[in-house]
Amino acid sequence: MISQEPTYEQLVTRVSELTAKLQESSEIIDSIRRGEVDAFIVQNNGKNEIYTLRSADKAYRLFIEKMNQGAVTIGANGVVLYANSSFASLADFPLEQVLGQLFINLVPQSHRRQVIQLIDAAWQNQESRGEISLPGTGGGAVPVSLYLNQLELDGGTALSIIATDMSLQREAQEQKREMEKKDEFITIASHELKTPVTSIKGYIQLLQFGFQQEGNMHAATLLGKVDAQINKLTVLISELLDTRKIENGQLPFHFDHFDLCLLLDEIVEETGRVLKQRLVVEERRPGLILYGDRNKIGQVITNFIDNAGKYSARDTEIIVRIREADGILALSVKDFGIGIPKEQQTKIFDRFFRVTGKKENTYSGLGLGLYISAEIIRRHQGKIGVESEEGKGSEFYFELPVHPAEIKSASA
Amino acid sequence: MHEPRKIFVADDDPDILEIIRLILQTRGYHVETSSNADELFLCLKEDLPELILMDIWMAGADGRDICSRLKKNLLTAGIPVVFVSANSHIAAITETCHADGFIAKPFEMKILLQTVQDHLRAAS
Repeated sequence: MISQEPTYEQLVTRVSELTAKLQESSEIIDSIRRGEVDAFIVQNNGKNEIYTLRSADKAYRLFIEKMNQGAVTIGANGVVLYANSSFASLADFPLEQVLGQLFINLVPQSHRRQVIQLIDAAWQNQESRGEISLPGTGGGAVPVSLYLNQLELDGGTALSIIATDMSLQREAQEQKREMEKKDEFITIASHELKTPVTSIKGYIQLLQFGFQQEGNMHAATLLGKVDAQINKLTVLISELLDTRKIENGQLPFHFDHFDLCLLLDEIVEETGRVLKQRLVVEERRPGLILYGDRNKIGQVITNFIDNAGKYSARDTEIIVRIREADGILALSVKDFGIGIPKEQQTKIFDRFFRVTGKKENTYSGLGLGLYISAEIIRRHQGKIGVESEEGKGSEFYFELPVHPAEIKSASA
Repeated sequence: MHEPRKIFVADDDPDILEIIRLILQTRGYHVETSSNADELFLCLKEDLPELILMDIWMAGADGRDICSRLKKNLLTAGIPVVFVSANSHIAAITETCHADGFIAKPFEMKILLQTVQDHLRAAS
């Protein structure tokens, strides 16, 4: 018989083949260890067999383990089969004591009867909901909403219980109620302040009218000054109310078509009477019909003119211009007053911001007017801005989009 | 000589009623006032006004309800209703109640007169 013993060369080749395979296996094991392999495909009798290295439900387990809500599964006998750490924290038990425990024992005595009813209801009706308190780990009882649902598992039926900590929702509800109370207060306060102002203003105007009829122009002029002060008071009341509404996103707008030049004429007549400067309308655009809140746009123009008057010297000019080009309308109010330092120009539209200079005490106001104006222009999809040089004056402007249909000729 | 035009004013504040009455009388309007809703409806049974000026919040009455009632009644639906109020939602309320206009308090005398004139002209 001829010997089948391998030759020395064959053995060397075999050893190097086995070494290579071993090397390959070792590399695969390293890859698995490093988490780089999710699954193997192994050929067995010509078929591919897939071996995954991760359990398909691991992701869900992790998700449930990490979620903020408490999650518990109980068996038909009421024993906890599974609980996440959020539930253990809500119940203020170590997680290892929760598992295998009767669920009812994890609930404070005062809520046990209610929870038993919830469990019975879930077994009978597939699901149930309720609210209880759990001790939590923060010291105070935590309001918790429970949602119980029947689960069909391989080994029979179970109940899943989701426990949601309602403290944040409660806090948010409380804050909302508090805010509504404040809003109601501001609305009522504003109404109550405006009512006597209406009476005072009404009587003053009647007196002024009477004196004018009699030809007593001195008395009428003095009463006109009282009326102007009442108007300032009204603006302050409105500004406080508007600021509150902007904070809540509730500033009401009433959009309609209006003639911007007619509005400007009314404002110029009204503010011109009390200004110590010369108010000049240099450029107009008659017949320009805008779609917006007429009163609110008027409020912005009045605010620009009031500010120009407040921060510039007597007998200087305040120039108003309305221009329109490429579908954009621009209204500007230019004064030759104290101007605004560069570093303050970006903050000028912030709430409670007031220009401070050497004579800051001489300027009145709450620092709300431009803040409100900016919000009004923003809500009209426009742009508000200022160009100013300290010591030379300021030019405040707003730009609003004009649609072709809104431009009508004055003669039309 | 024309009959003076009749305007009805409802407000629960007697000073404001007085002021509006005095302002409207400077133009020779005939003004009737009421501080509550019952009086208003009583007056409406007797003689219809050409214009109604009304507050929104009144003691024991809500101008919104009154306006809705007026607008639903065939006899009064044609009378213009103008809200005169310090309510900050006056524009929106005017729209939802199908009122014909509004005057925000505190008001300028000439705005009150102009608004009244506009509505009377539109109604006649």
